[in-house]
Amino acid sequence: MKIILTVNGERHALDVEPRRVLADVLREDCRLTGTHLGCEQGVCGSCTVLVDGEAVRACLMLAVQCDGRSVRTVEGLSAPDGEPHPLQRAFSAEHALQCGFCTAGFLMVAVGALEADPTIADDPERMDGLVESNLCRCTGYEPIRRAIMRAAAEYASHARL
Amino acid sequence: MEQWTRREDRRLLTGHGRYVADLEVPGCLDAAFVRSGVAHGIVREVDCAAAREVPGVVGAWSAADLSGLPACAHAAARLRDLPPVPRTLLARLSSEEAVAGREWPALAKDRVRYAGEAVAVVVAADRYRAEDGAAEVTVRIDPLPAVVTPAQAADDSVTLFDGLSNTAFTGEAGEPIEETVWQEADAVVEARYRQQLLMPAPMECRTILAVPEEDGRLSVWSGHQMPYRLRRELAALLDLPVDRIRVVVPDTGGAFGSKSATFPEFVTVAYLALTLGRPVRWIEDRMESMTAATRGRGQDQRIRLAADADGRLLAYELRIDADVGAYPHLGVGLPMQTAWMATGPYTTPRVHATVRSVLTNTMVTYPYRGAGRPEATIALERSMDLLARRLGLDPAELRRRNLIPAGSFPYRTPTGRCYDSGDYATALDLALTTIGYDTWREEQGRRRADPDALPLGIGLSCYVERSGGEPGGLHDFAGLEAHEDGTITARCGAAPSGQSHETTFPALVARTLGVEEARVHLVEGDTDAQPDGLGSFASRSAQVDGAALHHACALLIGLARERAAELWRTPVEEVEWSDGTLRLARDGSSAMELAELVKGTGPLRVDDRFESGMGFPFGAHAAVVEVDPELGAVRVLRLVAVDDCGIALDPAVVRGQAFGSAVQGIGQALYEGIPYGDDGVPLLADGLLDYLLPTAAEIPPIEVKETRTPSPVTPLGAKGAGESGCIGTPAAIVNAVADALQPADPDLLQMPLTPDVVWRAARAQEHGAQEHGASKAEEAR
Repeated sequence: MKIILTVNGERHALDVEPRRVLADVLREDCRLTGTHLGCEQGVCGSCTVLVDGEAVRACLMLAVQCDGRSVRTVEGLSAPDGEPHPLQRAFSAEHALQCGFCTAGFLMVAVGALEADPTIADDPERMDGLVESNLCRCTGYEPIRRAIMRAAAEYASHARL
Repeated sequence: MEQWTRREDRRLLTGHGRYVADLEVPGCLDAAFVRSGVAHGIVREVDCAAAREVPGVVGAWSAADLSGLPACAHAAARLRDLPPVPRTLLARLSSEEAVAGREWPALAKDRVRYAGEAVAVVVAADRYRAEDGAAEVTVRIDPLPAVVTPAQAADDSVTLFDGLSNTAFTGEAGEPIEETVWQEADAVVEARYRQQLLMPAPMECRTILAVPEEDGRLSVWSGHQMPYRLRRELAALLDLPVDRIRVVVPDTGGAFGSKSATFPEFVTVAYLALTLGRPVRWIEDRMESMTAATRGRGQDQRIRLAADADGRLLAYELRIDADVGAYPHLGVGLPMQTAWMATGPYTTPRVHATVRSVLTNTMVTYPYRGAGRPEATIALERSMDLLARRLGLDPAELRRRNLIPAGSFPYRTPTGRCYDSGDYATALDLALTTIGYDTWREEQGRRRADPDALPLGIGLSCYVERSGGEPGGLHDFAGLEAHEDGTITARCGAAPSGQSHETTFPALVARTLGVEEARVHLVEGDTDAQPDGLGSFASRSAQVDGAALHHACALLIGLARERAAELWRTPVEEVEWSDGTLRLARDGSSAMELAELVKGTGPLRVDDRFESGMGFPFGAHAAVVEVDPELGAVRVLRLVAVDDCGIALDPAVVRGQAFGSAVQGIGQALYEGIPYGDDGVPLLADGLLDYLLPTAAEIPPIEVKETRTPSPVTPLGAKGAGESGCIGTPAAIVNAVADALQPADPDLLQMPLTPDVVWRAARAQEHGAQEHGASKAEEAR
């Protein structure tokens, strides 16, 4: 089936089998391998990407469902000049990754939430919901929570400028 | 680089990491395995004919299709039958007797011995088509009775290998203790503990990509901890010289001990790549991993602990029935780690530990973060709390009276270990003050007086563990090369899976040489680039490879001074090294940068083998929990982890490891476990939802602190870090729950302490002996 995916602002005209999940098409057809598959059943969240700004598990969505839609992956986080996204810097600063396999999923969950509402970091319950949505086996999550808070503070200070 | 705390971060945070599944190899085939749905049975039929007709499928084979082949039927004529999984007798963790007659086939042919065992393989243009093919393979297996626990399997009423006992190995540490010791002791406690089977569950499952090269070599990429072992074992299996195989470990998504073997699937993939002359990869998916990846722990323990009236320990006896899984691999002798470490941090004069390793119809038991030491610590520390209660002593005070004093090292234990260094009491004191022990005891007293308050418990766990490896495997190889442009390449035999080597090792080298960090870069995890090595396991990278690099720095400085002395026609003692520059000692003249020396005198390279002693990291963990006896719910209010791993190369990295490790320890204590049906099939219908990995919702306030007692076993003084939480945390939490509930029968509190387990334990206390007997019978099932 022929579909058009806009991934990180770039248009991809693809011919994909209808059964192929979005994560596989991103990884293999678009060669964007930053999106990782950790469970292929929507539990771990490693494959989270944004579709039209909303976080989805790319293992549970078919690529054909995204025809004509806009997908954002971890490769699209940095600015075009390579300047890292505040979340990327914050993750590094807080040691919020060790092996790095789950990291893209956490970044995308966080960027989706912060861009929709930067005040989310002011609400511990909503922050809990955010960090609880994905699995990490290395860090114990606290560094990830701190990183998201740190990036959110940066968002907020930019908003005030 | 200032934007990134670790060198790894730039690529891992921007989607440019390269894990095995990310590598693009033209023409690569994907393998999918057909797996047994029964735990134990006779294979009657595996028919792959229909699979071969599926579009995109390149081949499909059962074990029978790949055995008994005429020698010349293959393109690669040297290859004959599909080889079995290699035996591993590493580090006394298995024995010839254990493996004799108990071969682990790469694909099961006549008999399956665990649910998930592979019986056929399908390769296709992609994983979708490979799975299409796998779905068409006809498998008929006549079930046999399955034995899932050592208790069921030990009587040999059902045997896994005809004519052989299920007991594959027995061993002991220490001397048997005379009965009079127990009879004459003022206090003796006895208990039983179950160390449940756990899934290591790295976020990236197992991976292998095997590429036959045009020159006849085989390149293998794998997320792996021991690339040199993988190379050696594959070479032996495939009848290739070792130098005809290159193993590369690219970015690896966690391992926790579980990625160091040559697994059945690896054997099959490498064999097919060579046989077909095409690249083949296997990217394990989570459901496969949950049924067919190795498990950790798996021990049934019985203990006796004796003390005099003052609480001085007299004797400790630990009997282990270990769950080996279906085939004797490292899991056979792994429980000896528990036996050797049974003494723990105490001066107990008599300690005896016995091991009986029993085959069961479950996937193979294998190292998982902690690997034998959590089992030792949990048994001993739970027993210490039982004893404290029996004697009416404060658990902290009982420990304090028995900890090996700081001035007693090296300390030889009755179970054959020689602890290198330690200051156990200081770690305990720091844990107690950090958690506010006395304040929590007061709060506990207040709640006990208040019938409406939820019970509160405080649990302690003092541990000592072992790092670096066992004799014969305490070395590694490292080298340094200085280049004309002033940069320095560091190489070592380690293979990281998230431990920040790329950052910490260059920093160590730069610090030791006195040069800028940016000038040093690390090469590891590639058997071509660094020809000799061992890998990363047993918490050894900092202790052994770090020390090996530290040693290489001294060699490099020595060689540079010799070269400069020659150049300046002066005795080498006259040449000094400081901050990457060579000078004449007497007046500091003739200064020459290292890069200039290389330009003038040629490549400057040092390589060596470095051997460490065994390190014994230690610490003390403390937990405060609140228990709701009506709901069986446990809420961890506070956890303090004090760990001592000697000299830390990078304290922030070590803390990150300690924190993550503590969370895995919480997982063992409260959540993780693999439920099996009576037929031996794991009950995992909902995949990862059925295995409770801790999420952020389960993380209590955790405080990680450290003491620093340098190890004398290497000049660097580092011991292993990273397994501390898995070792120290579980008993602290279980002891806290027991302290809150004061159950009539502490044996009911077996991990994981799910609401069901806690509720039953609390209820047994309320409803008296009859109920408690019934629950105990249920527990035993």
